[in-house]
Amino acid sequence: MAAFSTAGESVNSYFNIDDILASQEKIPCSFNVDVAAMGYLDQSTTNVDISVGTKLELPFWLARYLYRGTRSIVSLETPKSYREGYRHILKADPNVVDLHRLGPFFYLFGGKLISFQLPDADDIASILLKTFQGRFRRIMDGSQNALHTDLTGQVSMLDEQERQLFAAGQQGLHDFQKWENRESEKLSTSVMIANHRKRKRIGVSTQPS
Amino acid sequence: MLVKDFKRDFYDVLQNQRVLVLVAFDVDALCACKILQYLFQCDQVLYTIVPVDGLQGLENAFLENAEGIKHVVLINCGAAFDIVEILQPEDHVRFYICDSHRPVDVHNFYNAVQVKLLMREDELSTIPSYDEVFRDDVSLISEDSGNESEDSETGYKRKRFDEESVLRRQERRRWNENREKVLFNYAKFTSYATSAALVMFELAWKLSKDTNNLLWLAIVGVTDQFIHFKTPREKYMEDIIALQSHVTRHNQRGSDDENIMSVNCLRISFEEELNLCLYRHWTLFESICHSMAIACKLRLWSLKGQKRLHEFLAEMGLPLNQCKQQFSAMESTMKPEVKTKMQEYMTKYGLVVQDVILPSFSLQYGYKNLMCATDYVLACTAVLESVDKSKHSTDNFLEASDILQRSSSEKFEAGLASAKLQLKSVVSQVQSFLDMHQIISAGPFLYVFVQEGTADSRFFAHPQCLIRLARFSLQAHCAVSRNKRAQSLPLVLGAPYNLEEGTSLVVGIPPLDTDDERKNFFGKAFEQASKSTSTTAKFHSFDSYIIEMKSEDKSKFFDALISILQ
Amino acid sequence: MLAEKALDLIRELHRTSSGTLSPYNEDKIRQVLEEMKTLFEQNKDKAHSVAEGQTDQLSSIQLRHAGIQRNKRCLLAYLYNRLEQIRKMRWEFGSVLPPDVKYNMCEQEVQWFNQYNRLLANYMRSIGESGGLDLTQDMKPPKTLYVLVRCLLDHGEFETQDGNIILLKKNSQHYLLRSECEHLIRQGVLEHVVQ
Repeated sequence: MAAFSTAGESVNSYFNIDDILASQEKIPCSFNVDVAAMGYLDQSTTNVDISVGTKLELPFWLARYLYRGTRSIVSLETPKSYREGYRHILKADPNVVDLHRLGPFFYLFGGKLISFQLPDADDIASILLKTFQGRFRRIMDGSQNALHTDLTGQVSMLDEQERQLFAAGQQGLHDFQKWENRESEKLSTSVMIANHRKRKRIGVSTQPS
Repeated sequence: MLVKDFKRDFYDVLQNQRVLVLVAFDVDALCACKILQYLFQCDQVLYTIVPVDGLQGLENAFLENAEGIKHVVLINCGAAFDIVEILQPEDHVRFYICDSHRPVDVHNFYNAVQVKLLMREDELSTIPSYDEVFRDDVSLISEDSGNESEDSETGYKRKRFDEESVLRRQERRRWNENREKVLFNYAKFTSYATSAALVMFELAWKLSKDTNNLLWLAIVGVTDQFIHFKTPREKYMEDIIALQSHVTRHNQRGSDDENIMSVNCLRISFEEELNLCLYRHWTLFESICHSMAIACKLRLWSLKGQKRLHEFLAEMGLPLNQCKQQFSAMESTMKPEVKTKMQEYMTKYGLVVQDVILPSFSLQYGYKNLMCATDYVLACTAVLESVDKSKHSTDNFLEASDILQRSSSEKFEAGLASAKLQLKSVVSQVQSFLDMHQIISAGPFLYVFVQEGTADSRFFAHPQCLIRLARFSLQAHCAVSRNKRAQSLPLVLGAPYNLEEGTSLVVGIPPLDTDDERKNFFGKAFEQASKSTSTTAKFHSFDSYIIEMKSEDKSKFFDALISILQ
Repeated sequence: MLAEKALDLIRELHRTSSGTLSPYNEDKIRQVLEEMKTLFEQNKDKAHSVAEGQTDQLSSIQLRHAGIQRNKRCLLAYLYNRLEQIRKMRWEFGSVLPPDVKYNMCEQEVQWFNQYNRLLANYMRSIGESGGLDLTQDMKPPKTLYVLVRCLLDHGEFETQDGNIILLKKNSQHYLLRSECEHLIRQGVLEHVVQ
């Protein structure tokens, strides 16, 4: 497995879909050297080459590869949603921010950013933690105490990882209630099969016979 | 054949066997089935339960599931017709019939091998003796064949033999006539014997496997029979007394205060209940308006009647605004007084104790609301006879079974809600019958039809609801009729069943003055009427006094019925 | 953009819910492979010139190499996650997958599934006292030997271990050996009724 592991990825996340998607998030970069024949990356020009000083938004995985210490091909800026302005907003009240719009992988991508040792890396790290701390109570509250309320509004503002947390919380509550009602011994239809059947039924009903 | 020892000849035989249980669509059968299920599960008897509605359903269910089955239990179905003849089972199949329908078919009673009846012996006393209905004709046949070989014998002998055979033939005709008569007398009235649930509960008791839970099921079964006009009050009281001893046995509470209640304990208690339907879950006012006895006595469908009710309530000191809110929300000082006050003032309004009070049982689970046995019956029946077209009847069966399980209060609430709808539709139908003077005397009986296209007619396409409507109509009619004879007239009521096929359900109920017997002669009458007019009237459920027929044959059928009953 | 097509494959995985398998996207995979090939050919060319001292090409080589790596990761993740899903399906659906799922698998995946099946069967046969142990059974610890079940759909006839035939018709209720009907419950044919 070690063969697969490259910088910034642990062994487990090489195949991880979320990790791949998070590493697609863009970082503003500017090129320190000319890059021959790669002009097509910059859709704003028709140049064949990328010249020094070109500013481009590159996905994390590419930036990671090109940014190697002092002699790197590109230099980086902090992405907008992690800059001072947003940090202030998040500090003021993390609960009102729509993290899903800010980047569906806010924490995951933020964690990756820190590895760049940008000048404000420490601030980013602390804001990630603070934001999560600030939001966690509400997530837990929502997932544990509102089984029959419509929470789509709240859930839609959650980052992907927070959503997983929320779902896990609800599942836990659900299981607990089942246990309380002595239903945990009940054998049930496999979720996968139920989903499969549902999809099939939809497929059947939409097909004109 | 009647099973003498249920344990030895029924229960023990089924051990380690696979059993098919066929259950009719009524609450009593459902309760009995649940009790039996519990017993089977205690002893790990493998079983399959299939609900059956009507004869056709029974045949289908048997055909589909009979493979490899040696033992079939029939609950509240099958006793009234020759089960072996109808189902044509293989020789090794045994039927165990626990059915409250009477009379029991003589073939079932005298079939010693394949049919076992799980019934009380004293309730089968009217059955004709074997010699009256069966005759071993084998000897006759052999003599007949012997006769032919003797053909060559002397004329004298032959003559003598002719005389003998003429005599014998005469004797045989007499016997046949007598048989017809005996059978007719035997089957003239249909009635109901002890509830299947109670019979099953007694079996559980004999096996020392009775629990409070099973007891409650037996109570619901017995109550079902009474409030659906199957058993007379006297029989009901008898059963109640028997059940009461079980209740005290199971619900003994020590003097210790802490033992009185705990969160998940089931407590059954005997109670002189108000004879008002669903009043614990309704408003007192509505409940009174939909309770048959009081509504008919006070004639609540008229303006005058409403006034009388207001007066009655005022006299009892129950403010209208209290009566028109949920009973559970009524002022707590008033609630317990309702019963005593009603009894106190009822005589002035022509009510008797039977109209107001029904000895019954109530159940309390933990700290939850008190439930009354009639509530369960009404909720279950409403679910069994759900008018929801998207549901198959077997869905309803399972849902009703869930209600009895008491696992989900939501399902019970939903059942109560549909029971209320059912009651409302019955009352408004009765009102329109009376307003339009639709109940007409045909001489020997009264008749009335629910018009096609009536808003609530879908409710009346189900037997129990139809019977309730018939009964309510008859009672209401008697209350307003000036004709003294009304009390002694039976009622025939028809309602559209399936509009597409153009069929109707017709039910006949006995006159009110024979209410202490609750015997119904319409089964035979319908049979004869349909025979004489050669209309196809088929049994709708297992009750012979409800038939399904083509709507167009109705007038022909009624003419025949009039001439039969005259 | 570099490696955009490969990302489409990942997005496709992200969208699919459990219980389904999207069709094996052969077309896209071919396109990704072609992209990788082009990048590789270009790098091979340029690498020669770098070796000859033209260092200004180095940065573009690095960039393209990153693209190749990324494509590789996406492709492998696509295949790997599909296999994971198929493996899970073996435990849920049993040894025979529904035809629509099978239809969406590529040939190698079918092969892999069959081999996995065989492996699992061999393993289950080898453990336990005699006759092996069915690991797909008793996913929850059993409380009773027999269970009460209700039929949720018309399934047809079902033969029990002792040779009896039971007709599983919608809404009929049966009291059966738990071990016999557990997989039917998991498949949604029967509903377990707890009392």
